[in-house]
Amino acid sequence: MTTTSALFLDHENLVPLLEELAKTLEVVAPVYAEGEPVFATWKGEALALDADNPLNSPVEFFLPQKEVLFKYVQYSGRYTFQEEPPKSRLILGMRPCDLQAIKVLDEIFGTELPDHPYASKRMSTIIVVLNCTSPGEGCFCASMGSGPVVEEGFDLLLTDVGPGYLVESGSPAGMFILRAQSHHFEEALPEHLKEKERLLDLAEEEITKRRPALTPEQIREAIDETDWEEVERRCLRCGGCSLICPVCHCFSVMDRGVPDGERLRCRDSCVLSGFSRMTSGANPRASLGERLRHWYLDKFVYIPEKTGMLGCVGCGRCSRVCLSEIDRWSILREAIE
Amino acid sequence: MEKIHTTCVYCGCGCGLYLHVEDGQVVGASPSPAHPVARGRLCLKGWLAHDFVYHPDRLKAPLIRRGERMVRASWEETLSLTAKRLKEIKEESGADALAILTSAKGTNEENYLLMKLARAALGTNNVDHVARLCHAPSVAGLGISLGSGAMTNPIRSLLRADAILVTGSNTTEQHPLVAATILEGQSRGAILIVADPRKTQIADLADIHLEPRLGSDVAWTNGILNLIIERDLADEDFIKERTEGFSALQESLSKYTPEVVERISGISPEDLERAAIAFGEAPRAAVVYAMGTTQHSNGTDNVLALANLILATGNVGREGTGINPLRGHQNVQGACDMGALPSVYSGYQKVEDPLAREKMERAWGTDLPSGPGLTAVEMMEAAEEGLIKGIYISGENPMMSYPDREQVKRALESLEFLAVADIFPTETTALADVVFPVASFAEKDGTFTSTERRVQRVRRAASPPGEARSEWRVAKDLMKRLGMDAGYSSPEEVMAEIAMVTPSYGGISYQRLGISGLHWPCPDTSHPGTEILHREFFPIGRARFFPVEHQDLEEDPEYPFLLTTGRSLFHFHTGTMTRRVHLLDRELPRPKVDINPEDAEALGVRRGQKVVVESREHRLEIEIEVTEQVPKGTIFIPFHFQEAPANLLTVHNLDPKSKIPDFKRTHVRIRRSDS
Repeated sequence: MTTTSALFLDHENLVPLLEELAKTLEVVAPVYAEGEPVFATWKGEALALDADNPLNSPVEFFLPQKEVLFKYVQYSGRYTFQEEPPKSRLILGMRPCDLQAIKVLDEIFGTELPDHPYASKRMSTIIVVLNCTSPGEGCFCASMGSGPVVEEGFDLLLTDVGPGYLVESGSPAGMFILRAQSHHFEEALPEHLKEKERLLDLAEEEITKRRPALTPEQIREAIDETDWEEVERRCLRCGGCSLICPVCHCFSVMDRGVPDGERLRCRDSCVLSGFSRMTSGANPRASLGERLRHWYLDKFVYIPEKTGMLGCVGCGRCSRVCLSEIDRWSILREAIE
Repeated sequence: MEKIHTTCVYCGCGCGLYLHVEDGQVVGASPSPAHPVARGRLCLKGWLAHDFVYHPDRLKAPLIRRGERMVRASWEETLSLTAKRLKEIKEESGADALAILTSAKGTNEENYLLMKLARAALGTNNVDHVARLCHAPSVAGLGISLGSGAMTNPIRSLLRADAILVTGSNTTEQHPLVAATILEGQSRGAILIVADPRKTQIADLADIHLEPRLGSDVAWTNGILNLIIERDLADEDFIKERTEGFSALQESLSKYTPEVVERISGISPEDLERAAIAFGEAPRAAVVYAMGTTQHSNGTDNVLALANLILATGNVGREGTGINPLRGHQNVQGACDMGALPSVYSGYQKVEDPLAREKMERAWGTDLPSGPGLTAVEMMEAAEEGLIKGIYISGENPMMSYPDREQVKRALESLEFLAVADIFPTETTALADVVFPVASFAEKDGTFTSTERRVQRVRRAASPPGEARSEWRVAKDLMKRLGMDAGYSSPEEVMAEIAMVTPSYGGISYQRLGISGLHWPCPDTSHPGTEILHREFFPIGRARFFPVEHQDLEEDPEYPFLLTTGRSLFHFHTGTMTRRVHLLDRELPRPKVDINPEDAEALGVRRGQKVVVESREHRLEIEIEVTEQVPKGTIFIPFHFQEAPANLLTVHNLDPKSKIPDFKRTHVRIRRSDS
């Protein structure tokens, strides 16, 4: 679904709009927790829409760190299973890079035999994207083709054009909100649209100037050229890169509790040795260097083969959290230079 | 979903993190970008900090022993029974037949209340905690040489160093965020010197790796300082203006020539000289050390040798310098600060000092005992001898973490009454008469003090499971039942009392802590806190040099291997929490002994096979890992695993100055296992 005609939302009308939406939906938005922006349930506090994209991606609302798939209860020797219905949510302020991550995940979890826990959350969530007009320091979405301009995949798209937001809808759900809440909106003016274009051009310029684009071919070459043993020597094994990545989706499943309990799906990481180690003790990716190389190959070769999209959205989070100051982008660049 | 900013529960780095809370349950964790140490990063344990919180093993109800069985009981019954038994023992055998072991995992408020419970309600100074087994030599050594046993500088200060000497610290695994800062410092130009017999990751990344034999730290440290003085690299102005006792030190050092040092430590004269020049020539040089320095029968001497080194080079009181003992638990600094030690009240006010005692007596409205109490390991000895009859243990597992496990077992079994508070059943709760189920870090309010003296908030993110309660409430309820006035309604109120009676915490209040906390000393409410100690003067006036000598250690031809113990990156301490985090447990599911390839070949064993490791008293069977990380003749066993508890083998070889046991050097022999 592509963008339809645009509306304008005065900055002052945003909170009243959210208040009305919060009557029927859980509104998730960037808010300040002890001064830092985080995605959390909005309860009327100040919004952190002007701050940098929060470190933890809102993808966690679709793929939680830990989720209960179902509860099992034993009764007279028989098991019954209880599932919680997904919450109806609206996520406000998701950035284009994270939306791109969801598009990749939709391909992985949502097609053919859809993954039910993912798909049900996806279907009960309205996504309101905020265009990135002031990209963060480590961002390189423009180089990965995942931002700062977004054209589809959202329910609503906001662009801060100064006095308020330019609002575009990208789905029937988005359109429905615009209609039902029409009293908060005005018609957008041509200069609003022009301003949006100007701001996004600026943002794109800034990102590509800072981090010029690499082609997938160059990246593949860089993966071959990188000295992975040296990366292994420096890596402090925190796993942060894979745990923070909005596209990473490895998980493990376990049952907690006997005889009654819960089946859990927990975030996992292919960077950990236990992930690929087999019961016999043999490990096809025995060294950390091999596992990190695999991690890159997954992002730049395997996921693209599977989904037609890159497995890296250029959000820069892996570099932000890296304990060893291993900057993904510099590694790739250095390797081919 | 809510995100609650709090402080990590594992090591002394004290990283800020968010706990993610959904429908009243903690469901995730993520790093805090604004926190000055974490800066948006965490180690793997930190990323998974929330994971053990709802493990089905959590203790959810108070338990009382009925014969061989532990039976569920009410809080009222359990608290009353505990108070009654403690009172009875006190009446029959005197207050010093009782003891409390507080927890470095507890908050400052909990440690303070348990310390007060011991001293004011029970009337004994027998209160100690796990610091006895980690940094007692730092408190003793740095206390007499500098006047304070804590890190002199904040972690961030290492970014400004020109040379960093890391010794006895497997920093990348035990204090990953400190390691990251050290390596960042190195990439900004600092020369990194690592002294460790094991080839750890930080040793591998070092510019200079010294590989001393176990037990030779005094010799090589003296050797480095001797070379520095010989080359006129000592800071004479600093020595003259701010220290005393240098000439005696200089005399004692002269015999530590590079050749002598090589004979003792195995470090070549060239390497020693490179290290001495790098450290001596650096405008700002810092020392970082941990258990590899302190856990020896001469641990205090090792610390004093390092203190001599930084004092003689004038590396104190400035950014990028200092002597920095890394503390292992997230609140072991705080537990010491709170006076959970047999000889001091909070803020290191000595129990033997009549003025300090009078002050505390006035504040608490009761008489207090005057002589210092027993240390942790001495308590176990006294228990075995029948002198100590009742112990309250808070969140600590001596059965796994203390030396000579069999002796600890005999000691705890011979008690008339043992109460243990913990979040999980442990080898120690199994011996208890009463078990209190308490709240984990995610379920309580309070403060932790990190290794860099940073007092930080811990915030309650969810309710404890079942009937579990915060331990400050347990301490308060016991105080009341023992006849004390203890009307605290929140940890914040406890902190107000701490600030009132503890000069170094005088200006600390919850309102002021925010994300970054405050470094003590912070004497009053307008004081910004003290990041760097000893800028202008030392608390003892002038710093003192203490000459220390190498002592030849006995060899034991029948037990030719040296066993050294420690932790791994993926587990913490006795594994009570990390072994219940499935990703961590999966990384290192079984105990293994590290052994050098040459030794493995001589023994005829291959990776994955089992060996029997024997000390004079005990033996255990364990799988081997063949690795160049350990030198020939030395083996390494982490102490996390009850399946092969390393401390079955370690012995009661105490440092006379600090009473720390020698965990790092035990004579053993190895043979192939028949099974």
